[in-house]
Amino acid sequence: MTSRLEFWQGNTACAEGALAAGCTFFGGYPITPSTEIAEHMAAKLPKKGGVFIQMEDEIASMASIIGASWTGARAMTATSGPGFSLMMENIGFAAMTETPCVVVNVQRGGPSTGQPTMSAQGDMMQVRFGSHGDYAIIALCPATVQEMYELTVKAFNLADKYRVPVFLMADETIGHMREKILIPDKVERVGRKPLMRGTLPFKADADLIPGFGQFGTGHHIHVTGLTHDERGYPCATNPKLHAALVQRLVDKIETARYEMADYDIINPESSKVFIAYGAPVRTVQQVMHDNKDKDIGFLRLRTVWPFPERALARFRNVQEFFVPEMNLGQIAREIERHVKVPVISIPKLGGELHTPADLVAPLEAHQ
Amino acid sequence: MSFEDWYRQDRLPHIYCAGCGNGTIINCTLAAIDQMGWKKEETVFVSGIGCSSRAPGYILTDSLHTTHGRALAFATGVKMANPCLNVVVFTGDGDLAAIGGNHFIHACRRNIDLTVVCMNNQIYGMTGGQGSPTTPIGCLSSTTPFGCAETPFDLCELATAAGANYVSRWTSYHVKELEKAVRSGLETPGFSFIEALVQCPTAFGRRNKFRQVADHVEYLRTHSLLKAKRDRMLESGEKIPGDMFVVGELTRRNRPAMGVKP
Amino acid sequence: MKLAIDETRCKGCNLCIKVCPYKIFKEGKNLNRKGIAIPELDRPERCANCRLQYLYGRQICGVCQLICPDQAIHWVEEEPYEPHKVAIEY
Repeated sequence: MTSRLEFWQGNTACAEGALAAGCTFFGGYPITPSTEIAEHMAAKLPKKGGVFIQMEDEIASMASIIGASWTGARAMTATSGPGFSLMMENIGFAAMTETPCVVVNVQRGGPSTGQPTMSAQGDMMQVRFGSHGDYAIIALCPATVQEMYELTVKAFNLADKYRVPVFLMADETIGHMREKILIPDKVERVGRKPLMRGTLPFKADADLIPGFGQFGTGHHIHVTGLTHDERGYPCATNPKLHAALVQRLVDKIETARYEMADYDIINPESSKVFIAYGAPVRTVQQVMHDNKDKDIGFLRLRTVWPFPERALARFRNVQEFFVPEMNLGQIAREIERHVKVPVISIPKLGGELHTPADLVAPLEAHQ
Repeated sequence: MSFEDWYRQDRLPHIYCAGCGNGTIINCTLAAIDQMGWKKEETVFVSGIGCSSRAPGYILTDSLHTTHGRALAFATGVKMANPCLNVVVFTGDGDLAAIGGNHFIHACRRNIDLTVVCMNNQIYGMTGGQGSPTTPIGCLSSTTPFGCAETPFDLCELATAAGANYVSRWTSYHVKELEKAVRSGLETPGFSFIEALVQCPTAFGRRNKFRQVADHVEYLRTHSLLKAKRDRMLESGEKIPGDMFVVGELTRRNRPAMGVKP
Repeated sequence: MKLAIDETRCKGCNLCIKVCPYKIFKEGKNLNRKGIAIPELDRPERCANCRLQYLYGRQICGVCQLICPDQAIHWVEEEPYEPHKVAIEY
């Protein structure tokens, strides 16, 4: 497979990845640092026969991509922290109605307006638990411009396969940096499972995923955010039905976590292991390069939710996990749940990346 | 073919209260759609939350019952992604003008080819009778127990000012005119807004001295002022009583529209 | 054709009585099993749709069917040779 070499900004790579994956609808609202994605889509999407629309706010952006997704389009939006908080109600709606869509969150310093032009990873727990009620989603974290492209393509495929909103949790560093990227000739495309005639629209098969009945194909589906039965009709006062529905929505993703898990394991026999995702990956790679004589392992996560805890078990001799994050230890908290060894969180707030010294100091403190 | 064929017969009788005007408005809308000759496969209903917005659940087409106030944003996504679909939006006064106010203004501004039927019962019916942005001054509701102190919206003026192509208002008494108005709205490209004043006997009527459903409908009939008469009254300098509302086709124009079927 | 009110749907709001231009309904007196007094047909021979639908080939009037919030009003075929009152209007 031939590929061509480009020098792109992370946001550009994300938009190009979406176009390559067949995205035909983008409904967004400008917010630093994700505006470049919207601008790129505004220029390129109409040329490919797609639709770009700048909505009046992020709530409308999320709503419009859900509406577009039901007509069969691959739909996406891009935002950052404050817009992400606004989208939460409709994200819950997408999870409840099993609507495939892709949301890119180029994280910035928070909370509130925070640091619009500085990097952070402060929305990692919000992406999993931000909307009310129990539900499950998929979150991918790119650490390079190449991954911005590839993980966007993967996000569309996962969204279509599992009928769930998929989040690309980038950060301002990766979004705004320029780096070399190899564009493949063509990308893999996994479509939605179609709804068979005569099957109830929300009746799941053995893989817990129902067929997708696109609007305009004569299935006459009623899509509602209320608790619904297999016909799609609201049945909000039935306790068993609600329990079964919510359990299925969560199990659909959680039981498939190993099929979709994407991570790299380096030096699994080490006793001191770094776990990183997003921008801190680059600092860890630098530390590993500079300290080849030391006994350091690395778990580089690309799928953060559903959390692939089996990857942790691969490190059989580990004595401590070190988790550098640009937040106050959100994923470190999740790791702690799964392991018995100490998990040392290395937070860094303020927008600057971890320096190698920031990572080596805790290593040496825990000799 | 009649409008009855558009109903999901397995879901009737519906949850609306005895005498609710929403049932009437749905009948009129479906009769207008039936007359247009649209097929069920190419029609999509979108609604928000509330009594009015339960309507698509009873209609045998693809439908989207979305979050409170955001029906127009979802409908914009559906229509722009596939302009060949016919999209009709059912909302209520609270869903459209309170939480959905921003989306309403922008949908009118963009002039998206949608038809919006707003069932304005001047109260929040589904949740038990709270005041809404269209509750008239002095009326009682569960959150305005001393009489409403806020000036209500005139939804039709709002739609006209924001740029809708077709705006009209009728009541649940004027069934034939309402059917014609919805028909005109469906035919007009661009944003068509039809406001239908309806009776809510359980929440509004009970608190505001309309003991029988027929009394409230009689009130709607006697307090509607045809647009032609209002224009004549204005010309001759007569004063229009404050509690009358104007019915009829209020705006029809040809601004450029978005998302029209190619 | 004759007009029939579906008892499983009618909730007794009496709006049909109010809007009929030919005043063919009257308020019911007897409660049915659901506790609702459904409207009765006082002068069904005056219903324009019942009389003229076959003549014109389309539905006439139909205001009661449109206003009924519960979709309870339908027109049904009559049994052959069913006796019905005919009014001659000058």
